[in-house]
Amino acid sequence: MSKVKSSAIPHYEILYIIANKYSEDEAKLIETKVNKVLMDRGGKITFNQVWGKKRLIYPIKGFTYGYYFLAEFDLAGSLLAQVDKDLRMMNDVLRHQVVVKKIKTAERIAKDKKIADKIAARGLKEEKAVEDQAKIKAEVKKKIKTEVNLKELDEKLDKILETNDLL
Amino acid sequence: MENTIKKVKRCYFCLNNINDVDYKDTQLLRRFINSFGKILSKKRTGTCTTHQHKLASAVKCARVMALLPFTGK
Repeated sequence: MSKVKSSAIPHYEILYIIANKYSEDEAKLIETKVNKVLMDRGGKITFNQVWGKKRLIYPIKGFTYGYYFLAEFDLAGSLLAQVDKDLRMMNDVLRHQVVVKKIKTAERIAKDKKIADKIAARGLKEEKAVEDQAKIKAEVKKKIKTEVNLKELDEKLDKILETNDLL
Repeated sequence: MENTIKKVKRCYFCLNNINDVDYKDTQLLRRFINSFGKILSKKRTGTCTTHQHKLASAVKCARVMALLPFTGK
């Protein structure tokens, strides 16, 4: 983290859980309430996603199921504490978490794509190397087998010749 | 012991160019915790130091939101 504060408004991501005691429609009403809280504080919502009903890994306040909602918003950093407090006061929201979300620049996306291509190319190379090795191994095995067969044949012939001598 | 093959462990995040570990991606995070819900050491998983730090904080965030367990079994 750089110590110098940039003038750009930070971008945040919030994930919150609404108790299972409400129906899905009621949960959506609460979602609009949360969005309103964010907007009232001067936030600008850029992304909304409904995860839907999910089982909680451990029960929270006696609820084993909850509705998950995800949202992204721009907000001045100094107002974040107030938003946090507002959400804490809402009894409908079981739990919430705000995380700083980094926005990917066009440069970064291009760089990532380049690296992804490199990784894909490296994967193909490794696959080829593995195939080649498997082929070499198979050939060696074949060779050994034929050699063994020749030895066995010799031994068999010797035995037959021996028996012929007896006759 | 001389015949044992040592497999070189590499950081999963470095190999796949993942800079920020997302705490919502529980399927990925589950690979780095054991059945008791404890975070596996980087010695065991081969994760590099920078990514281990990010991974640990991501797992802790996921625990708060009931996406991963604090304790298992």
